[in-house]
Amino acid sequence: MIRMAGVLAVVPLALAGHDMWIEPATFRPVTGQAVAVKLRVGQELLGDPIPRDARMIREFVVVDAAGRQTVTGREGRDPAGYVLGGASVIGYWSHPTAVEMEADKFTAYLKEEGLEAVVAARERRQESGKKARERFSRCAKSLVAGAGDRVLGFPLELLAERNPHKLGGAALPMRLTYENRPLAGALVVAFNRQRPAEKVTARTDKNGRAVLSIKGDGMWLVKAVHMVPAGEEWASFWASLTFDLGPK
Amino acid sequence: MLLRLLLATGMSVAAHEIGTTRATVQFPEVGTYALEIETDAAPLLEKLAARTGRTGELASYDAAFRGKVALTFDGVEMRPGIAYELSADGGAKVRLTGAHPAGAKTFTFQFGWIFTTYPLQAGGQTVWLEGGQVSAPLAVGVPPPASRWRVAWRYLALGFTHIVPYGLDHVLFVLGIYLLSNKARSVLLQVTAFTVAHSITLGLSMYGVLRVPASVVEPLIAVSIAYVAIENLFLSELKPWRVGLVFGFGLLHGMGFAGVLTELGLPRGEFVTALLAFNLGVESGQLAVIGAAFLLVGWHYADRTWYRSRVVIPASLLIACTAIYWTVERVAG
Repeated sequence: MIRMAGVLAVVPLALAGHDMWIEPATFRPVTGQAVAVKLRVGQELLGDPIPRDARMIREFVVVDAAGRQTVTGREGRDPAGYVLGGASVIGYWSHPTAVEMEADKFTAYLKEEGLEAVVAARERRQESGKKARERFSRCAKSLVAGAGDRVLGFPLELLAERNPHKLGGAALPMRLTYENRPLAGALVVAFNRQRPAEKVTARTDKNGRAVLSIKGDGMWLVKAVHMVPAGEEWASFWASLTFDLGPK
Repeated sequence: MLLRLLLATGMSVAAHEIGTTRATVQFPEVGTYALEIETDAAPLLEKLAARTGRTGELASYDAAFRGKVALTFDGVEMRPGIAYELSADGGAKVRLTGAHPAGAKTFTFQFGWIFTTYPLQAGGQTVWLEGGQVSAPLAVGVPPPASRWRVAWRYLALGFTHIVPYGLDHVLFVLGIYLLSNKARSVLLQVTAFTVAHSITLGLSMYGVLRVPASVVEPLIAVSIAYVAIENLFLSELKPWRVGLVFGFGLLHGMGFAGVLTELGLPRGEFVTALLAFNLGVESGQLAVIGAAFLLVGWHYADRTWYRSRVVIPASLLIACTAIYWTVERVAG
């Protein structure tokens, strides 16, 4: 069964985890034009630059008609890379970042990100009152020049099953996979840059599918977070997909 | 740059999403702080616009900006003066300055306008903080012990340059004193009287005991120069009243020095050092003028028969004319 949800106005919590997304300098480049690829971390699509850091990059790739290539750029600089204009999917998969959080902060953050299953698991493990240590990895993708989505093989991956640029008013079916298998029960959230407080949300079904009724021009961010135990710690994966629906 | 810093501080490298922001704390003088945040202007402006619902220049968001920045000393929150500056390359520099409670041992800092990790540099140490994270209490830096000597040297130089080359009026006054007589006793007595006098009024003015407006002092200084030069035309040896007058004029010049020193400002922690050094610089400047005059004309020609008619008289006339012109200018100005 596909569970659909309407538009929710969510008051952002200051303690929520931060989104990370790819923001090309333009989503509609002239073919062959060099396009700066910016990495951003923030909330509500208000983000700070992440300069290119070789030690953080697990994969930074672009897939277009020519195949799959590494996104090149200058170390330590923002924008983190450049691609040649043309229909393409850009992907960034980071090495994990370790953070430590007080118990109550961690619990509030888990609920904010729709990770109630982890809250329950922490209770079962009797560690709800303990400081939490988390290692989070980024799995960000972006669709440039009207491109449809492709599987890049990231650990947590959001895949638009229809080209978001060619929906013609229909809802957007998304598929979420963890280690290449459908992930059920995960919260998928989408929002528009112009109206970031209006969250379009849906939980994935047993096939990892969630359908999002996204309406409106401009830049969209679709995101999902998954967290698994890793010994004493928790490993989280932050998938994001950005695209821009015009006006053309 | 930041990455290099990161390596230098030996932080575990795979750890953090480091952005383009950095903060530096300095304690320029005892009891004061200056914290500079360097960041990208555009993301900061976007976030401020989203928070306030309006667009404007960086400084126009001052109230909102303060809402996510906290600086405490020994647990007491400061309300710093904040200066905002945009650079041509898209950067923003925000400077928080002020005085902290006397004797404060530690401070904490929180910057909530970014989501990335950033370095806070304080003295020799670098602390890595997440956006929004309150730092652990950090030691308030003490200005390095060498700073007294630096202050002394700086104010000594300021005092000297206030005579040579910037204080032509004081130079002419000292030359006027020198030209009266070629006897060492004459120069010595006058210079001593002048020095003692201006030290007194400089000190009293800087401590706020004496307050005479520049509009009164400056024309009188010009008159004093004219007087000394004109008296040189009629007098060729030291009379007791001349020493008294030079002492009186010295009181005036001291107030003039105080005006300049007030504009330059004195460091609170090193007030006496700076005051003494500035005064010493002024003396050195005067002695340099006298030394130069002696080497140029006094040494070889002071005992010539034409010394008075060809050097003392014309030079004193020139000084007198200049000083009269200044007097008129300063009264009118």
